[in-house]
Order: sequence, then structure tokens, then C-alpha cells
Amino acid sequence: MRGAQPRSNLFKRGIATAPTGPRNDLVKDRLPVPELCEQETQLITTVVGNYPKIPDMPAPGKWRSAVEKFQKGQLTEAELRQVEDEVTLEAIQDQVDAGVDLITDGQIRWEDGQTHFARRLRGLSINGLQRYFDTNIYFREPVAEGEIAWVEPISVRDFEFARRHSPRPVKPVVTGPFTLARLGRNAYYQSGREFVLALARALNAELRALQEAGAEIIQVDEPALCRYKQEYPLFAEAMTVLVDGVNTKKVLCTYFGDVDGMYPQLLQLPFEVIGLDFVAGYRNWDVIARAPFTKTLMCGILDARNTRLETVDEIGRAIRRITDVVPPDRVMVAPSAGLEFLPHGVAKRKLQRLVEGTRAASQALKGVQA
Amino acid sequence: MSLPLLPTTAVGSYPKPAYLLEARRKFLRKHLSKEELTELERRATREWIQIQEDAGMDLLVDGEQYRGDMVAYFADEMEGFAIAGLVRSYGNRYYPKPVVVGPVGRRHPVTVEWFRYAQSLTSKPVKGMLTGPYTIAEWSFNEHYPTRRELVLELARAIHQEVVDLQRAGARYIQIDEPAIHTRPEEDFDLAVEAMEIVTDGVGAYTVSHICYGDVPKIYPAMLKLAVNQLDLALKNEEFALLETFKKSPFTKDIGLGVVDAHSHRVESVEEVANGIRRTLGVIPAKQIFISPDCGLKTRTAEETVGKLRNMVEATKLVRKELTETRNRGIAETRTAPR
Repeated sequence: MRGAQPRSNLFKRGIATAPTGPRNDLVKDRLPVPELCEQETQLITTVVGNYPKIPDMPAPGKWRSAVEKFQKGQLTEAELRQVEDEVTLEAIQDQVDAGVDLITDGQIRWEDGQTHFARRLRGLSINGLQRYFDTNIYFREPVAEGEIAWVEPISVRDFEFARRHSPRPVKPVVTGPFTLARLGRNAYYQSGREFVLALARALNAELRALQEAGAEIIQVDEPALCRYKQEYPLFAEAMTVLVDGVNTKKVLCTYFGDVDGMYPQLLQLPFEVIGLDFVAGYRNWDVIARAPFTKTLMCGILDARNTRLETVDEIGRAIRRITDVVPPDRVMVAPSAGLEFLPHGVAKRKLQRLVEGTRAASQALKGVQA
Repeated sequence: MSLPLLPTTAVGSYPKPAYLLEARRKFLRKHLSKEELTELERRATREWIQIQEDAGMDLLVDGEQYRGDMVAYFADEMEGFAIAGLVRSYGNRYYPKPVVVGPVGRRHPVTVEWFRYAQSLTSKPVKGMLTGPYTIAEWSFNEHYPTRRELVLELARAIHQEVVDLQRAGARYIQIDEPAIHTRPEEDFDLAVEAMEIVTDGVGAYTVSHICYGDVPKIYPAMLKLAVNQLDLALKNEEFALLETFKKSPFTKDIGLGVVDAHSHRVESVEEVANGIRRTLGVIPAKQIFISPDCGLKTRTAEETVGKLRNMVEATKLVRKELTETRNRGIAETRTAPR
């Protein structure tokens, strides 16, 4: 039914009804404390965060056209925001249609993971383009030029919008202070440590604002951790500052590498869920076998950076390997990173396959337990 | 024709004029024939050759008016690729990302005709312009080869054939762009070096590799192992911070010195550009330096591009003059010195 309706009605219609239903309750109940119940073999699916903003060729897509018009002064900022809202609704729709349990807003409004936050914090300016890790994606470098401070909510409006329009629970995502610092430049603080901790204090206010807005689960993205492992003590210190007074369920999401050398210490961090990338961080397969995984594992097992579609069998085998080590009721299955590295059509198929593969694996697990 | 001291050149791409952008859109919608599009691409190429000559540049490029994207262009012309779709690069900039779906290889020479055409328009030398195997592999999805290594080396053999064909067509300067080379320095920089050895094996032409955006200090001085005569780098983007890196270990190849920022709208003044060159002269000898923009200029407006090229040439002339005066003074002083 829904698929048959014209896309243009999407915005007016809104996508969602109230965010309830057994599956949603399952997602909420699961975190952080697993409760043994009859659905314990039902694995939860989620995403890391971003999602393609434009459709496949040849159409430029309404978002891209809108940005161009906005830059030429042919569109007001309010009109651009309206288009972003529409595209956000489509990103939500894709995730919901695919059957993903815990979704994001697709981060349609993010210029990039750094700029989105740095632009709205005091004390940071935005510098030139830099390559984002080992991708062919670029971001603008944030530079600390003064005392860093949180001024106003950055992502609360976006979270509220997504929640209002999603039948599934929504997970707001915040780029972590360590990654912001490592991908940024410090031209103000005496030490790198002070820079990281200042960002942690500022983002703590953002997490608190999200908590106040009713977020039940918040994800902190820290891909830089995999690249700067030697700084783990500082990272751990920053995480403590970051989550101070934040009582929602919290996800620490790493990607683009493994956590070899930081495990099992990582399990002591104040997060209920730890996200690991098992594609770029293939060593994580061995790492998690070294000590009991005492938290919920968000396992990134579908390659978010290659178009090749994993088969249901491959996903099943990967999940089986995970559940040999971590109980199924403490596993969330996800792509290895944000899906914006893929063209829209492929990203959508990855979501579908994620759910298809995970459901098949849940069935298989049920068979084993019965 | 030999090049002067501090030859001025460019990295590769220039912006496409409005009529060409419009034509490309029409072509995509099948409202324009391939022949009509090619005619406009040739017109734009002629215009850019003329602009470079007027600016007084020494070593020209064809401006890549016939390319959409530096990787997709080669993928389109070669075996084994499909285009997966558009992927965001930054802001609202997208590029069509290829996917390797079968064995890769050349069907026919890819760039030779355009090189011939551009060279026929000018008496100044024109560079042959290729995208390197490591970058093509890195910026494509790979659904076919079990390892990146196999894909990179197979592409290196194909690009080598293209280098040989360009040389045969008269190219004396051939640039092999590897902007992705420092993507995974710990993991496979050696692979990139091995691939470049295949690409330039037995080639007599002067070879250049353009490398940009990324952690250059991380691959320095290892990058000097690349089998090319010149490394072309973006210096202006970080206000010549790389010079500190080059002070630690001498720059043993020629350098293509990026002196104007390819991603800022501001046209740097002659004095500002000259200062960048002067600072570099304290670290790298003049005879090893080519002067160029940081990167391809296709994202700038035509006006910005022309402004940047002009000031780059004027600044170079200024510094050349200073170098000649210093040398003459040196000679004069030697002559008048008491025996």
C-alpha cells in the first residue's frame, strides 16, 4: 500500500504512526540489560548512521538541486530545510520498509560528521577540505581558535523530527570528542588532552539535551579510536566526561578498523552497546573471542563500502560466528559503517539484505534452541 | 623546445564552459549526438589551450573537457567496469563510482586521440594525462578480484600500454595521477610503488605523478621511491607546511609545486604566490621546481581559474627575474673581486 503511494505525498502524509508495537518494545527492552524471554533468539537490526541523500543517476535528486538553487540565491534557507525534511522522510521510509528495527534519520542534514557539530559549537572555525580516513570522502577540518563551548542544541530538532515521523525507535548520533579532535586542529589549547576534554564537556551538554528531549538511546561515533589506539587512556577519560549525567542507553560505535589492543578494557567504558566493524576491522573476529563480551555488541558485518551484496548464507555464517561468543539477545546486526559510501539503490538493497539475512539467522537460532 | 627555469604548468582539469555543461546534460538525455558533444568538447579544449598560451604557461594540459570524472572516464573506456551510481564526495559534489565486475583491461587507447588533438593546437608541449592504477582501484568498488593487489597490478599493466601509446604519439611529458596513493600507507604503499614501476617501465618520456589531499608527511620520504621524474604536490592548501617535512629529508626528485589553492574562490595575488615560491627555494633547488596549481581547477569558475593561472605565471616571472639578478650580481661580484 505505502509503496504504491506517490513519493510527493510522503511529506504531507508523514510516515509514521505512534512508535509502538512488540518489535519496538523488544528493541527498547533489550538495552542494556538482556532479559531472557521467548524472543531471545530474535536479533535486532540497526544502522550506523548516514544514508545516501540523492537517488541514482541520471536524476540529480531534489536535495542536490535544492542546494544548488540555494547557493545561487534562488531558494530560501527555509525552503532548503523543507527539502531536507522530505529527503529525511524518504531515508526513514527506506529503513522502515526494509524492516530495520532501530533506525537513524539518515543524517541528511549533515555536511559531514565534523562540520555538523563543529559549526554549532563556540570556539571552532571550519577550515579546508581533508580526506576522511581512507575513504574518497572529504570533510572540512574544525579548528579550535578559542574556548570551546556548547551554545544551543545541535541535533535535538532533527531527532524530534525523525521520532515524530518514524514508527520505529530512532537513535540520534553524535560525533565523539576524540574523533572531532583527531580530525581537527588545535590552535588554542595548551595540550591535545585539553582540546579533547573541552570537546567532551561541550558534547556532554548535547547528550544531555538529547536526553531531555526523550532520547532513549544515543550513539557516539568514534572511528578515530581505531587509528589512534595509543591514546586509549585519554579516550577513556574523554568518554567519562562525555556521558556524565547521561542516563539513556548509550552506544559507542567504532568503525574503519579493529579494537585489537584495547579489548577487553573497552568493556569498562560507560556504554551499554559497543559497535565494532568486522569488515575493515576483520581482526575483531579474533579480538572478541579473547574475553567474554559483557555488553551488547553492535556488529557491523555487511560491507558498507562495497557494492557486492552479501548473501543470506554469508550473513547467517557471520552471525553464527558472533553468537558463538555473544548471546543472541545481546547482538545487534548492522552494516560496517554508514551507508552513504554506496549509491542509493545499493544502500537500499543492503538494508533489505541486512534484515533478510538477520531474520533467517534468527530462525536458524530458534531451530537450534528448540 | 626546452623549458625555462621554473616551468609553469597545471595539474589537469579546467572548468567546463556553460555551453559544454548544457551539452553534457542534453547528451545524457539523448537530445544530442556523440558527434555534436565531441565537437563542443574540442571547442572547449581549443579555448583552454588558448587561455594557457595567453597566460604565458610553458607546459600545457588539455583541460580534460571530455572527462566527467578522472576515474569514471577510464572505467567507461576500459573493459571490466560498470558504473554503480553516484557517491558523495563532499558538500553537494558527487562522482559516479565505478564497480569492477570482470577482468579489467584496455579495449583501445583511451587518451591518445585527445592528446594528439590538444598538441596539434599549440607549439608548447602538452602533457599526456592518465589516472594511476592504485587510484582507479581505490576509487572503484571491487566485486571481481579476490584482492586489491591483483586488481591494482592488472590495471598497472593496462595503464602502461597507454603510456607507451602516448609516447608513440609524441608525448614527452606524461602525468600519472595518484591522488589516492596515501590512502593506506601502512598497508599497501609498497603495492602503489610496485604498480608505478610497471606503469613507467622502459618509458623514455618525462613522467610526473600528482598526489593530493592526504597525509603526505606519512609517506615521505618513502614517496620518493615512486618510479617517476616528478611528484606534483599541493603546497598552498596548507600554506607550505610541507616544506618542514622536506627539510628533514631532501626532496630528491623534481617537484610540481602547488602554489595556488584549487579549492578556494580567492585569487591569490602575484606577491603571495611569489612568496610561496621564494620560501620553497630555501628548501628545494630552483632547477628541480615546476610551478603549478595545487590540484585540477575544474571546481573553480573560469574567471577564478584564469586569475589564478595568470598570477601564477606572473609570480614565476618575478621570481625568475630575481634569480637571474642574484646570479648576475654573483657573477659581477666574482669578477670584481680582488685577485
